[in-house]
Amino acid sequence: MNPTAPLVYADHNATTPVAPEVVEAMLPWLRSGYFNPSSMYEPALRAAHAVRDARAAVAAFVGAADPSEILFTSCATESNNTALFGVAAANPSRRHIVTSAVEHPAILEVCRELERRGCEITRLPVDRQGRIATADYVRALRPDTLLVTLMMANNETGVAWPVGDWARIAKATDPSIVFHTDATQAAGKLPIDLSGDLRHVDLLSFSGHKMNAPKGIGVLYIRRGTALRPYLYGGHQESGRRGGTENVPYIAGLARACELAKAHAADLPALAARRDALEADLLHLIPYAEVNGRGAPRTPNTLNLSFHYVEGEAILYALNAQGICASTGSACSSGSLEPSHVLRAMDIPFTAMHGSLRLSFGLSNPQSDYDRIRDVLPPIIADLRRLSPYWDQKTNAPRPR
Amino acid sequence: MAWEYSDKTKQLFMDAVQGKPGTHLGEIENADGVGEHGSIVCGDALKFTFRVRRAENPLDDVITEAKYLTFGCTSAIAASEALCALIEGKGLTPIQALRIRNQDIVEYLEGLPQQKIHCSVMGAEALEAAVVDWAAKRGVDLAAAGVKLSGEKADEDGRIVCKCFAITEPYLRRKIRELHLRTVDDVTAALKAGGMCGACRYAPGGIQDILNDIWPDACATCPSGGACPASAAPAEPSPFQIAKKIESALETDVRPALRRDGGDLELVDIKGWKVYVSLKGHCATCLGASHTLQLLVERTLKDAVDSRIEVIPV
Repeated sequence: MNPTAPLVYADHNATTPVAPEVVEAMLPWLRSGYFNPSSMYEPALRAAHAVRDARAAVAAFVGAADPSEILFTSCATESNNTALFGVAAANPSRRHIVTSAVEHPAILEVCRELERRGCEITRLPVDRQGRIATADYVRALRPDTLLVTLMMANNETGVAWPVGDWARIAKATDPSIVFHTDATQAAGKLPIDLSGDLRHVDLLSFSGHKMNAPKGIGVLYIRRGTALRPYLYGGHQESGRRGGTENVPYIAGLARACELAKAHAADLPALAARRDALEADLLHLIPYAEVNGRGAPRTPNTLNLSFHYVEGEAILYALNAQGICASTGSACSSGSLEPSHVLRAMDIPFTAMHGSLRLSFGLSNPQSDYDRIRDVLPPIIADLRRLSPYWDQKTNAPRPR
Repeated sequence: MAWEYSDKTKQLFMDAVQGKPGTHLGEIENADGVGEHGSIVCGDALKFTFRVRRAENPLDDVITEAKYLTFGCTSAIAASEALCALIEGKGLTPIQALRIRNQDIVEYLEGLPQQKIHCSVMGAEALEAAVVDWAAKRGVDLAAAGVKLSGEKADEDGRIVCKCFAITEPYLRRKIRELHLRTVDDVTAALKAGGMCGACRYAPGGIQDILNDIWPDACATCPSGGACPASAAPAEPSPFQIAKKIESALETDVRPALRRDGGDLELVDIKGWKVYVSLKGHCATCLGASHTLQLLVERTLKDAVDSRIEVIPV
């Protein structure tokens, strides 16, 4: 690592720093306010009120009609497990689930398990830009469709989908279809209004640590009237929908993060503008580079690039040596030797599949972070291409094969 | 996944990337041995070249120089560097060089994470390929020289048909039966086999041959035994006939009106009495679009086809 340069954190889709205000909101409940909200004395009542107030703040953040529609969980993965297993358990007569090929593993793996338990899964394909054709979606809905689960925004590419419209179509087709969306990458980056354009969405998951709250807290929004069996049994907490003592400090921290996200919503266009400027610069400076998902609406913070004829893990390592944190969809970083299922589903050419780089920013990144990446990345790509048997140094272009 | 590379691996990688003197980056022109292993599809590939000092008897050739070009991750690049360092200037004949195993590369790198061991295997494979190339150029019979090559030979049971995606014949046979795939295009669409370079699609022993073997005569194996149910006329109007009526009503009664306003309509799907339509052209951006659909399309279809019809704009 370069010890002189400050760290550039460009991996906010992996996790985010905890905001100082969030830490402040949590501390009282870690120190003197440690009481169990279920206990029968005055200090415990204050903890219970903190949970109640936090629930109202989170409800306001997502536009829920009532705070009782907010279920606190430990993470988005738990929210997704609760949603999918809970819906399947509550509706045993229906066995068909519609999802996509590019969901997060917290959806894909749950679907695979439901498949083993007898469900039938339709995995919608995406086009080169990461979009689903509405016609494919409509045709996938069947009389025995139990659940639709489609993400609001993709973690790798940032591609955002019109889930509100798709939920409307599902409900018009059959009001019994339950519509779930994994909004983990949307929370804090895209507007979430469950009384507005998302009013047909029944279930929505997100987590705190992608929006400047700590790891270990998640939310499942459950629209009133949605049939759902609990996933964690063991207590009366969360209106009997999830056993386990409420995580008061983290719940209070998440509520503060939701308030901050609401307050900073006006800054998101500027975030997109900085991303767009960096994107234009990099495409100009680096030949044979492309932006994955460029033709689709995207979250304002995500830039997924593919560099032909270089390997992503090597890019990451070279960036790491300069103090820059980013992510890749290359096989060599996954531990499974498989390149990203998202890029594969998008049919990214194989010359570029392994050379993907995901930069994901937050509001706390100063312009100088973008400038550093713009200065550092082009020579790294050039150096790695110099090593590549597929690259011709003399012409600075791919070798004819 | 965090990196667990040894300092040696990191050093070799950074030296190579920065082109430090003493690294073995590059390609020897008119090399005596050229070996390649891996492919860009798999995510890593190595082109390894060496030069020998030629002797009277080719068996006494000695490797004097080795270079590589590598597409791959940190450890793939470091392993390539290690391979060249292990070989160059050691006075090895190409056949002696074959004694270098992937384990030697791992040791040179002071260890590799388990999931990166294939990077060292790639080095050993490229070396072997380069020695085979040298032997061919120098007229050396490797078998006669007592060399046993380790290069994997897929056994007959698991013969790889599609090399791009490493899809084997048993797998193809099982999936073709399971999914009732009838054509090469079906197979490619469902299993990806043949979807990259396409060489295996119609090659001998390729996808078409396997299909011919599994489905010798499509009609003879059809369970209807020749009495094809498609030919029997249904007594009730089928969903297909309802769809035809909807389509014809849209064509005669709806589209002309929309086209007059510079728009059009696409029929996306029909499920029972639910008709999914999408407005095109001017209509798609018109604020009164849903009104248009509700009033014009739904009323027309209710009158012309069935009063239970419901239109869903998508």
